[in-house]
Amino acid sequence: MSHGPIDSPRDNCYSSVVTWCNSLVKVMILRIEKGSAVPISRQIGGQIATLCASGKLQPGERLPSVRELARELAVNQNTILRVYERLVHDGLLEMRHGQGTFVTDGARANSLVFHRQRLLEELRQLTRQGVALGLSSEQLHELLAEALDQLREIAPNLEETSQ
Amino acid sequence: MNDLAIEIHSVQKSFGKSEVLRGMSFQVERGQTFAFLGRNGEGKTTTIRMLLGLLNRDSGMLRVLGRDPAVEPLAVRAQVGYLAEDQTMYGWMRAGEILRFVAPFYPTWDHELALKYANDFEVPLQMKIKHLSKGQNVRLGLVLALAHRPELVILDDPALGLDPIMRKQFNRDLITHLQGEGRTVFYSSHLLYEVEPVADEVAILDEGRIVRQSGTEQLRADVKQITLPSDAILALNKKVKILDQRPDGNEVAITVEGAESVVEQLRCESVEHRVTDLNLDEIFEAYVMGQGAPEIGKFAGVAKS
Repeated sequence: MSHGPIDSPRDNCYSSVVTWCNSLVKVMILRIEKGSAVPISRQIGGQIATLCASGKLQPGERLPSVRELARELAVNQNTILRVYERLVHDGLLEMRHGQGTFVTDGARANSLVFHRQRLLEELRQLTRQGVALGLSSEQLHELLAEALDQLREIAPNLEETSQ
Repeated sequence: MNDLAIEIHSVQKSFGKSEVLRGMSFQVERGQTFAFLGRNGEGKTTTIRMLLGLLNRDSGMLRVLGRDPAVEPLAVRAQVGYLAEDQTMYGWMRAGEILRFVAPFYPTWDHELALKYANDFEVPLQMKIKHLSKGQNVRLGLVLALAHRPELVILDDPALGLDPIMRKQFNRDLITHLQGEGRTVFYSSHLLYEVEPVADEVAILDEGRIVRQSGTEQLRADVKQITLPSDAILALNKKVKILDQRPDGNEVAITVEGAESVVEQLRCESVEHRVTDLNLDEIFEAYVMGQGAPEIGKFAGVAKS
């Protein structure tokens, strides 16, 4: 079954993993997939939001400057600036004049709003596939419950760590 | 001084009977990183040679930093840095020697800056040029292109022949030393997935014309594939620009410009549809290879050969 263009292997697509490491700045791993149907700004924004949601980026922590991150990821500075501005707008980051960009106190809660929309979109796609295959509403709910059960088996404290 | 680094309007150029540029128009703002995309043999290098005043146009208007390179080629070249596609340098010279050799050609050459770039780009100055790796060679070319502090830097397919690691390093140099210093970069390439992270703006050249110029991110947001029932295509506004369409059973997948308004329209008319994001390669392909719709709704299921 097709999973859309992102999963199909392309010879021109490779990923880049960056570990940002500095005594003053939080270690942050971002992975960029080139040639993806997901625009680069959305990839970076989504990953920073995930780091906030999972607590790997804590309130008050400073992110690399636009210049530093652009250089590290080899991505246009304007793109990074737009990502930061978007995350400031969404309440995940704040820019303190002359000091840099920091994770806000409300970052975790706000990142859930950010992710809710994305998850809904992905679930909608999956649901569409299920309906096309003739699954009923009950069967779809069963599948979701089964997926959750499988995850609980692998990671028994799944829900606690994400609280 | 206007805000345009490059201004091209209705430029035509033929070589004998072969018409290469057929009324090409585009503009590059100062400070932008501009990617010039096209298939091989579409006239990218011809355009670059015109920008440098090495080749004259048959007709049309062309300005580089406010000057006409056909009239003032030296004044233009003094303010432009150029990295050729197949940079050939004297192999017997050492890297450091070629820096001193090239310096007198440019009144504004800054030798300290040249040495600083050579150091930043890790170019071994003691080594003979013929012994440099491909990556070192490209970066030496970049030192030569930058040391006279040009306002505009023209790079003709710089990533050609570089491996992924070297390409990433090259993109970093470009971001730090060119974008970071506010220079205008005009960058031709056929490796679209390399262009996307770096370029502010892209232009697609096809059959001698620019078929689309747009901000990189805006292009991604604007051009999407929409799958809808075949008969619903008739309900679309006639003004919708369809770049490509592929029948798929009783559905059709269309690639459109202005995706947002098309989706809005389909939603208003309650037409069942799916929207797929496209990567830059797919968007490029839709523009240069796509089967557009001369008459909307008229597609008899003819497979693309």
